[in-house]
Amino acid sequence: MSLEFLNAFKFIKKKTFLHSLDPRSKLLFSLIYTINALLFTEIVPLLIILLSLLPLLISGKILKMWAKSIKGLSFLFLFIIILNTLFLSLDFAIAMILRICIMISAFSLFFLTVDPNELTLSMISMKIPYEFAFSFSLAFRFVPTIAIEAQNIIDAQQSRGYEMQKKGLINKIKNLFPLLVPLIICSIRRAYNVAEALESRAFGSYKERTYYFTIKFNLKDWLFIAYILVLFLLFIFIRINIISLPNWLNWRVPL
Amino acid sequence: MNDLPLICIQNVSFTYANGTRALKHVNLRINKGELIAIMGPNGAGKTTLIRLLNGLLRPTEGNVFIEGKNARNKTIAELSKKVGIIFQNPSHQLFSATVEQEIIFSLKNLGLNKEEIRTKKDEILHEFGFEKYKERSPLTLSGGEAKKLALASIVCRDPEIIVFDEPTLGQDAKEIEFFIKLIKEERKKEKTIIIVTHDIEFALEHAPRVILMANGTIMADGPATGILVNEYLVKLSSLILPQLYQYKKGLIEMGFKVPENLLRLSEFKEFLSKLFNSKLKDKVVT
Repeated sequence: MSLEFLNAFKFIKKKTFLHSLDPRSKLLFSLIYTINALLFTEIVPLLIILLSLLPLLISGKILKMWAKSIKGLSFLFLFIIILNTLFLSLDFAIAMILRICIMISAFSLFFLTVDPNELTLSMISMKIPYEFAFSFSLAFRFVPTIAIEAQNIIDAQQSRGYEMQKKGLINKIKNLFPLLVPLIICSIRRAYNVAEALESRAFGSYKERTYYFTIKFNLKDWLFIAYILVLFLLFIFIRINIISLPNWLNWRVPL
Repeated sequence: MNDLPLICIQNVSFTYANGTRALKHVNLRINKGELIAIMGPNGAGKTTLIRLLNGLLRPTEGNVFIEGKNARNKTIAELSKKVGIIFQNPSHQLFSATVEQEIIFSLKNLGLNKEEIRTKKDEILHEFGFEKYKERSPLTLSGGEAKKLALASIVCRDPEIIVFDEPTLGQDAKEIEFFIKLIKEERKKEKTIIIVTHDIEFALEHAPRVILMANGTIMADGPATGILVNEYLVKLSSLILPQLYQYKKGLIEMGFKVPENLLRLSEFKEFLSKLFNSKLKDKVVT
């Protein structure tokens, strides 16, 4: 259940244009697309922004994984539709869903195509101390591990008669203890183990360290950034002139 | 009751969500009171197979029958009363403040009343030697003790079928001895015991029946003394031939006449003492 959703954010090595880009240019891309999404509350421009992501997803061969991550959020969309339609309007609800879709897609594209090791390197190049950068990428690396562990804990507890579904709010909260306590304890224990393993390999013994892999801004990174910025300027232009632009851009759900 | 055995696995296949085919058309019948070792290389499908028994996983194809009833129509909670699985890692299930409460949690899930829980709990704490530290936190127990507590938290539920996943892994000699005593006790109560293990010496010594798995299928199913000395099968399962069998082969190579059934420790002791008392006496001097 929860496992599959997390897989949608897991990096898989592939040889595509998107994968070969510098992580920093992809981070910039994710941030700009987040801003793009925040520019509008109209359905049509948001739809255009979302569709402008499609060529990237296809060229990165991550369309399937992306679709999974969106599917995993479907319950959230249902929630947004119900609440917004009740209190505001269906039009607004759809716009908000599109907005979240764009943000999630932008970041899922980032995590799906950025190697955690490269992420560390790019953080270091941004003058973040390598101990912090390393623990950050370590945190990413352990997300799927913890997901598997959570499943094992659920299985172990169910084998001794633990029931997942219980009625009543207090019971529901009490019912989380048999799952959360082992999960937290196992995570803390693993953190200690990892720390010991790192220290026994002399991690952090020098202020500076050398790197085997390096990252570099290439021509294709500049091209990619130029493309993103042109789109960004275009969207800002639409935002500013939305009233004078053709009517279909301002189309609303007739309700 | 119909004529189905206690556990009947009929043409079961299982595919994980990521597309891994963990089991392929597995058929298996296990009778009441049997003690079975399931062996095979990692990734052979052993863990998947045992998870089908109490409904943690549902077969993609085929059916699992427990006590003649299709497991598909039962919840995990119902099945776990019949089938108790003890998983490898005890820290995946210990969460209570004290050892005592850990046992009580397992018993409460059975729906017993207060009085029944108290008697059963005291009984189990005594049987497992946990009386002196029943007030201790399970987190402060050593690895072996934690494994024992995980064992107790399943055995106290008195399931008809007890499944152990790697019970001898990381246990010291005393803890393994306790485990062996425990399975002997449970067998006296006509319990069915399934042990997933890589420990070939243990399986040969204690399990009458062995099931060898590889690549999601059952490669061999029969008496331990037949399967675990089959060099082809043992190699296929990434195991090493049992030491006693290697000794036996060595003795044969040296020209001794060795009885066919010589495979277990007790038989070996008897044979060697006979050997020393007779002809070897004169040979050893030279």
